[in-house]
This record gives sequence, structure tokens and C-alpha cells, in this order.
Amino acid sequence: MKFLSNHSEKRKAQLFLLFLLAPTVVLVLAVVAYPFMFNVVLSLSNMNIYHIRDWDVVGIQQYVAVFQEPKFWEILFKTVVWTGVNIVFHVVIGVFLAVLLHQKFVVGKPAWRVLLILPWALPQYITALTWRGMFNYDYGAINLLITKYMNLSPVEWLTSPFEAFAAAILTNIWLGFPFMMVIALGGLQSIPAELYEAADVDGASPWKKFWNVTAPLLKPVMLPAIILGIVWTFNNINVVWLVSNMGEPNDQTHILVSFVYKAAFNAYRFGWAAALSMVIFVILFTFSQVFLNRTKATEAAY
Amino acid sequence: MSRLASRLVLCGLTLLVAGCASAPDVPRIRIWHQKIGPERLFFERVIAEYNDAHDDHVVEVLYRENEEARNLFVIASVGGKGPELLFGPSDNVSVLALTESIMPIDRVLSDEYLAQFNDEGLIGWNDRPWMVADQVGNHLMFVYNKRFIAEPPETLSEMIALLTELKQRPDITYGLTWNYTEPFFFLPFLTCHGGWVMDEEGRPSLNTDATVNAIQLILDLRDKHQLIPGTTDYDTAEATFKEERVPAIINGPWSWTGYEQSGIDYGLARIPMNADTGLWCAPVVSSKGYSVNVNVPDEKLPLVRSVLEYLTSPDMQAAMARELSTIPVITEIRESEVMNENPLLQRSLSQIEVSRPMPIDPKMRQIWDGMRGPYQLIMNGAVTPQEGAELMQREVEKRIADTFL
Repeated sequence: MKFLSNHSEKRKAQLFLLFLLAPTVVLVLAVVAYPFMFNVVLSLSNMNIYHIRDWDVVGIQQYVAVFQEPKFWEILFKTVVWTGVNIVFHVVIGVFLAVLLHQKFVVGKPAWRVLLILPWALPQYITALTWRGMFNYDYGAINLLITKYMNLSPVEWLTSPFEAFAAAILTNIWLGFPFMMVIALGGLQSIPAELYEAADVDGASPWKKFWNVTAPLLKPVMLPAIILGIVWTFNNINVVWLVSNMGEPNDQTHILVSFVYKAAFNAYRFGWAAALSMVIFVILFTFSQVFLNRTKATEAAY
Repeated sequence: MSRLASRLVLCGLTLLVAGCASAPDVPRIRIWHQKIGPERLFFERVIAEYNDAHDDHVVEVLYRENEEARNLFVIASVGGKGPELLFGPSDNVSVLALTESIMPIDRVLSDEYLAQFNDEGLIGWNDRPWMVADQVGNHLMFVYNKRFIAEPPETLSEMIALLTELKQRPDITYGLTWNYTEPFFFLPFLTCHGGWVMDEEGRPSLNTDATVNAIQLILDLRDKHQLIPGTTDYDTAEATFKEERVPAIINGPWSWTGYEQSGIDYGLARIPMNADTGLWCAPVVSSKGYSVNVNVPDEKLPLVRSVLEYLTSPDMQAAMARELSTIPVITEIRESEVMNENPLLQRSLSQIEVSRPMPIDPKMRQIWDGMRGPYQLIMNGAVTPQEGAELMQREVEKRIADTFL
């Protein structure tokens, strides 16, 4: 009887857990699993402007077409550059500012924090369009600054491929460093002060303290943030789309997601775009798994 | 139950009832449109008047930029949703009809009603009418500031001479400007060299001498004569003309009232002729009008018909011609005194006489998209005229081929 009673309690607990989990399961199935599976099916279909209602599953030919597209490899390379450069600057600037704000001598810390978080707090499209205005060749603030105070020639920020891509990167660096700064600030708060005191007793220089105390103890906080940052940046369509005005000039400032968007919603190549988005998914999924395993990012530091 | 708890329950119930209360249960007719500036204000005013006069249904309008409206409409329509009406340019029709997103307009409007419209008023594709227009236009013209230019130039050589002289003034930055990002603005230069975007069989025809010569003309205007800016986009071109730093701009009817509101004393003229070929720089001309979502149920069609007949009626087109200088597409109004009351309309018609009709062909999407990038590279001076023409042809052909994947 005791066994049955225990079993019944356990069963009740399981049912209760199931009851609590059910809404989440339904929600995840509806907004993640179903669209994902639909995208898989679309990627195997011939859905385009001529077959938007009567599309059929045709096999892997869209995947073949993705890898045969000459621009795919070029844009993949640009996406890697875009992600790498952005993340390096986000982390370096973010951690630098966080360490600076963590110093005792800094006066008015709350005000500095608010000021530095502002780029992140503003809606991304407003910031992106403002930067686009600032990059205008004739009337933008950047060129006025360059020509008036630095005595240099104006730069064709938005009309030359390299400069336009650089303009998008600069904008995204501006937008992204506050996130890393906030994460790093949180991590710094959790580092015991005794470790710095011990380092002081040992006569460690500020650089040694940063390298041997701060950096290793920030690692478990920063690595998941870096993975998140990489995935977000890799998939960040807003900045590239708005700053370069849909990949101008001549579709030479695309990253993979903006290329997918243009193929799907501009050229109505839904099957091909779905195949490319699956390729992006595989790239990011593989990267995240390898990065997590290699860096042991989820393991505790202490 | 304590008094506090009772009050909380009461408040909760009140909020619940208030939250559940919905708008009066009348059918809604939703319109997505791309009208901007004064035309949008006019549109919203007449819709408000329509709603005041009707209790049994309500019209709701939502502005969406043209590309966004068309793309979202197709996607919504395929999913069985979307607004009842879509307002946009006639070249949307082929994409909308091909994707079965709209229904033939003669399913909604009677033959008697449609008989009032001229050929520009009914947009057909594959032998069926799919759109009913409220205006024809969308054509580029040579817009000049009368403070600087008394008499507009007739030929390109006259234009270059006039603008070169004007550019000597210290308050003038450049002689002429237009949007460098959209190939729509390139077509007048192509047509005055005898070129066109597709041949008679609908194949892209951009790698031609005409394209090379058109590109060379633009590069000469920029580099040799230094009459146009090195780089610009639509907004910058508009701003420089409104600030009177540039005496002339190539732009369309949607912008004219804005110039008036900015206090510019402007004149309209045909984009000059190429004396070497004897051809006018002909822009494309297209109608703008309404299409009906294929998902509108039969019981709602009478309401949609009522809204459509109101928005495209002879009275409405006459009012638009008077207030907005749009060109009506109802024969009776086109031939009426309304056209003589407004000198802008006469000049606008004069440009339309030498314009090319916008092809109603789904390939136009790929042609615009394929031309856009090379056009930008040309305007940036990144490619030679020959390379530009070859690149345009290649990009358009690739996009057309890709669409069938």
C-alpha cells in the first residue's frame, strides 16, 4: 500500500509537471518547431513566383543551386568578416569600458553607465538610419569632420563597396559594444575583491592583475555572451539592410541573411531562400557546438 | 470576502468587460496604399468623408511603401489574408495576377462602369483587366527653378550650355540632379539614344550601343561638364533642389506639390531631346490604381464595389486633377474643362505624349533589380560604359534565370 501511495504521489507530481510544461511545449511547437519544419520542406521545394500556390517538393536541387551561386562564397566570406570584426570590437571596447567603469577613481559612474548604454537602448533602425545620414558624401557629419578638421579627402562611404561595408560595420560596432559592456560589468561585480588585494600584496601590475585575475574570471560570463553575440551579429539583417540600403552598391554589401531576405521577399525565390537559410542554420549550429565544447564555456570558473 | 477583495474582483471584471468590448461589428474594407504627401492627405480626407456617409461598413487605410506593400500583399494573399484593396502602380499587376493574389476587376465592377475608362484606366494582363486606375502619370519630367531658368532647354546640348552657365554662380552647387540609386531615372537617357529594356519578344536588351551611349552621356555630365553631383540619392537630390542649390531636377508628379509647399517657383518641361538621334528622353509612364484581393468573399464584394466606385468615380478624378494635378483616366473628365484649368496638367500631358508605357510583364521585377546595381556602379564611376552595359545585361539575365529555380 505504501508503495502504491508513493507511486501515486510520484505520478501526481509528474502530471503536475506535465501540466506546467504543456503551455511551453505547445508554444515552442507552434512558433519554433512548426516554422522550422515548414522551412525544411520549403527548402526542398520549387516555390517561386511561378509556383507560389502549386509548389512541389523537388528534392535537394535548391541546396545544389545555393552552393553553385557564385555570390554565395563571397557573401559567406563577408559574413565571417562582418561577424569577426564586430565581435572583436564589441568585446574589446565593452570589456575596456567595463573595467574602466569598475575603477574606484571614476566619478559619476551611474551617469557614465547610462550614457554608454544609450546606443543599445535606442531602436536599432533609428540608429542605423542616423548613421546612414552621417555617412552621406556631401552633407554627412563624418565627411565634414574628415575634410574640415583632418584635412583629408571625403570618403565615398555609401557608394563604394568596401567603404559601404565598412560603414555598416562601424555602425554595428557602435550599436553592439554596450551589450558586452553590461555583461562584463556584471561579471566584474562577482569577482571577489580579496583576489585583487592578494595580487596587490604580491606586487602585481595592473596589466598582470587584468590578465591573471580579471580575464580568467570574466571568461565564464563572457563566453556565452560572445556566442550569443556571434549568432546575433551573423544574423543581424537590420544594420546592413538599412545602412547600405538593401545591399547597395550592386548587392556588394550583403551578409547571408540580407541575401536570403532579398531572394525571398524581393525576387520571390522562396525555395532557394529557404535552402540558404538552412545552410545558415547548420553553420551557426555547428559553430556554437564546437565553440561551446572547445571553450568549456558552460563550466563554472570557481 | 473582505471589502478590498470585493473591490479588486469588481475592478477585474470591469477591466475584463472593457477589454472584451470591441469596435462596432461592421464589415471593414482595408486598403493598403502608397500615396504620399498631399495625395495622401487628400486620400485620407475623402476616406473620412466616405466613412461619415456610411454606417454599414468602414474603410481603413494603411500606408505601405510600394515594394513592401506588394511583397506583403502577395504573402498575405497566398495565406488567405490581406487587405481587400491594394493601391499601387500598374507594373505590380503582372506579379499580383501571376501569383493569383488579385481577382479580375470585371468580377467586381460592371461593364457599364468600366466603359467610362480609357485604355490607361484599365490595366490588363493575359487578356483580363486586373486593376482600375484613378490616374495616369508616374512619369519623370525636367523640373526647373524659375528663379534661375526662364526658358527650359529643348535639347540636351542646350541644357548643357544653360546649366554650365548657371553653374558659374556662387550660390549654385550643381546644374542638375536626380536619384542615382533607381534605374527608373536612367530610362530617359536610354530612350533618347534609341534603347529600351527589352526587345519585341520580351528578352532583355541592355547590352547595346544605346545603353553605352546613355551611360557615356551621364558620365560626361558628371566628369566632363561637372554638372551633376558625384554621388546622390533621392532625398539628397530633393533637398538640394528645395534649398535652391541646384536649379533643375528630374523628378515625377509625386514631388511637385512638395516644391510648391517649399516656396519654389518651379516650372515643368519635357526632359530634353537628343538632337543627334532626334529622340526625346522619354520616361516610362504608368497608371496607378486599385486591385481587389482574391480572398474577398462574395458577400463582401458589393461593399468593395461601393468603395471602388467612390474612389475612381468621375467626380473624384476631377477633384484630384484640380487639387493634385493628377491626370484622370476617365474619358469624360480627360476631355473636360478640368484639364484646361490647370497649366501643370497640360505640361504633364505634353511629357506623357513622348513617354514609353510601363511594360506589364513579371520580368520587369528582374529587369529593375538587375539594372539597379550596375546603374549605381556607373553613377559611382566604378565601371566603364561598355562594362556597365554588359553588367546590366548579365545581371538581368541571371535574375530571370534564377526566378525559375
